[in-house]
Amino acid sequence: MLSRVAESLYWLGRNVERAETIARVLDVNYTRAMDLYAQRDAERLWRSVMHSVGFLDEPAISSGPGSKAAAEAIAHCALDPDNPCSIVSSVRIARSNGLGMRAELTTEVWQLINVLYLYVEGVTLRGVMREGPSKFLHYVRDSALAFSGVTDATLTHGDGWGFLQVGRFLERAYMTSRFLVALDVEHEPWRESQRLLEMCCADVPFAQASRHVPEPRDALEFIILSADFPRALRFCTRAVDAAMHRLSRTGEGSYTNAAERRLGRLRSLFDFTSIDEVLAGGIAVFSAGVVGEFENLSHEVEDAYFPRHPVAALVT
Amino acid sequence: MLELQPRPSVSSHYDELYDAAGLPRAHYAALSATLSEFALGEILGRVGSINTTLLQRGVTFTVYAESSGTERIFPFDVIPRILTGAEWAHIERGVQQRVRALNAFVYDVYHAERILRDGPISRELVYSSKNYCREMIDVDVQRDVYIHVSGIDLIRDASGEFLVLEDNCRTPSGISYVLENRDVLKRGFADLFRGYAVSPVDDYPSRLLDVLHFAAPRGIMQPNVVVLTPGIYNSAYFEHALLARRMGAELVEGRDLLVVDNVVYLRTTRGLARVDVIYRRIDDDFLDPLYFAPNSGLGVTGLMNAYRAGNVSLANAIGSGVADDKAIYRHVPDMIRFYLGEEPVLSNVPTFDCTNDLERRHVLANLDKLVVKNANASGGYGMLMGPFAGAAERAEFADLIEANPRDFIAQPMIELSSSPTLINGTLASRRVDLRPFALYGRDVDVPPAALTRVALKEGSLVVNSSQGGGCKDTWVLGV
Repeated sequence: MLSRVAESLYWLGRNVERAETIARVLDVNYTRAMDLYAQRDAERLWRSVMHSVGFLDEPAISSGPGSKAAAEAIAHCALDPDNPCSIVSSVRIARSNGLGMRAELTTEVWQLINVLYLYVEGVTLRGVMREGPSKFLHYVRDSALAFSGVTDATLTHGDGWGFLQVGRFLERAYMTSRFLVALDVEHEPWRESQRLLEMCCADVPFAQASRHVPEPRDALEFIILSADFPRALRFCTRAVDAAMHRLSRTGEGSYTNAAERRLGRLRSLFDFTSIDEVLAGGIAVFSAGVVGEFENLSHEVEDAYFPRHPVAALVT
Repeated sequence: MLELQPRPSVSSHYDELYDAAGLPRAHYAALSATLSEFALGEILGRVGSINTTLLQRGVTFTVYAESSGTERIFPFDVIPRILTGAEWAHIERGVQQRVRALNAFVYDVYHAERILRDGPISRELVYSSKNYCREMIDVDVQRDVYIHVSGIDLIRDASGEFLVLEDNCRTPSGISYVLENRDVLKRGFADLFRGYAVSPVDDYPSRLLDVLHFAAPRGIMQPNVVVLTPGIYNSAYFEHALLARRMGAELVEGRDLLVVDNVVYLRTTRGLARVDVIYRRIDDDFLDPLYFAPNSGLGVTGLMNAYRAGNVSLANAIGSGVADDKAIYRHVPDMIRFYLGEEPVLSNVPTFDCTNDLERRHVLANLDKLVVKNANASGGYGMLMGPFAGAAERAEFADLIEANPRDFIAQPMIELSSSPTLINGTLASRRVDLRPFALYGRDVDVPPAALTRVALKEGSLVVNSSQGGGCKDTWVLGV
């Protein structure tokens, strides 16, 4: 397929996934911030959110009781067109990538993205906050989930699909690893691990899998090392690895480019490391390392398939 | 109940719906009956949901003048325009004949120039055309077909006769509206189709693909066809994407293509893939910066050499635009006689040539009665509607004509026919034209998929989308 189209599919997958993740994270934290204990700590909570999905190291958040922290975080993470990682920006980027390869998309896929775009472009902060942000956030989340279903059910599962999968699962793994970095399990082990599960929509699946009163350690194990839960780092890494090898027509366990090589190492890490080994050096150190791994992986995927320099005139 | 505005007792133009006695014509009777049963609230509700569907599907065009490339839907009037089988057979015959002659003309002006030597057209006229391309002299294109896709704009005069208003032989657009309008109308207003057997339009993409395959360089059995678009900011991008998708062809931009040793390739994730046929929706001037506009990033460096070497086919051929120069238009009936030895089936609108001293004087003296058009413009730009223009605008055009007579033609104001149109909850009479599309492969194919444009402003005779025009579904009935 066209290299430009492949790149558009990759970014389409990434940005729809990002919009979904941000919507879920804002919704989970908004409802948590309304609880008694969190009101005192709203500032710290929103700082953590801004750090993980707002991509701000030193977030400007109002402090004090009755602060506008929630509205500020939603303005920045959801509706700020100048923040390239906001919901609005993600949907715009997704849509413009979709538009540039419209002939490759089915009507169903295109229409879903376009309707989401028209909706997101039509809202204001005041409108979103008036009845609580859940309606808006759920709409975005549900559209993004519907995107997974519609692409799965209407697109040919060939190379184009492969690039979409690489983008989707790479973004998901990256965002999950960012949650881990912003987590404060040292001070608030119970609440923070429960918050992590909810941000990964893993609370019920985790409860079903563990079948006992959960320890924070178990929650981290589930989110990092589960092979079956679709937002766990291990699951996502395997999904990216499988999609990359289908694209290069090579078997798993070998590599043809730097991205596949890194994926092999990451797979091995998640497949053969225990949660105690992960926690031995501290979750902060581990998760910071993993965030860096996924950032490097992104660059290597882009170098392998969407080189910025002109293609050498090699006629095959 | 929908209110049907009565036909005016005296009319200067042809009414598609009512006959001279004020009764609906036979082929509109079933539609009139169905419409009279509609409640106004319901019809408006359904129109609203059709407009939402078109916006959500992105059946839009870009308005260049407004900020950040605003996307708008092309206003769609749900009342169809109906053509009888006999009317269509006449149009089909006329368009086929005309396109055969226009194609023969393009071939001729780049080869033996018979019509310039022995015929009625002067060398000055052809050589001074902005779309005449010297690089095409003695270049042989596949099967001598230049005008693979054309749109012939027709109007109906007061007697109901179809006349050709202009020929579009470069990159005519509008077929995507024909396809989408039919689809949404069938879904939203199935009841309107009661009592009618309407020719389907949805095989247009496969008929186009057939023509593009036929145009491939000889000896290639499974040609790789691509659609070349200027990109997402072009006003017809939606159409480019729709046709590519329906034909199963790649939709490419100039930056996706590469020429190596006079062969055109696509940049793919598996290396380079050879391209055989390019359905290009980019004007000649932007195709290849080596030959044409050197600063354009839309085209492909080296494409012209690959084309001249016969390694890739372009549809339409480079240089085809010489056939739709408005100053050459006037000679198309002569072309038909010269190349085909036939009398034209469809007549022209009378046209004055401003390079002829006598005719120019007549034009300048009668600017308040004439329509003046730029010979190379399209889309309703660069035009003077004399009877509606102010003195200052007429004076401005008089100066322009004096300065560059070759750039202008003038025509009497022709009353377009009218068709019932939904305006503010009533059926009002609005003026329409008709653009059938012709596909030239083994022979000229005129699919029953024509675009009707409608001037939505009362009394207006300008149907272009950029000037407040809309469109209608066009039904071609069986014979």
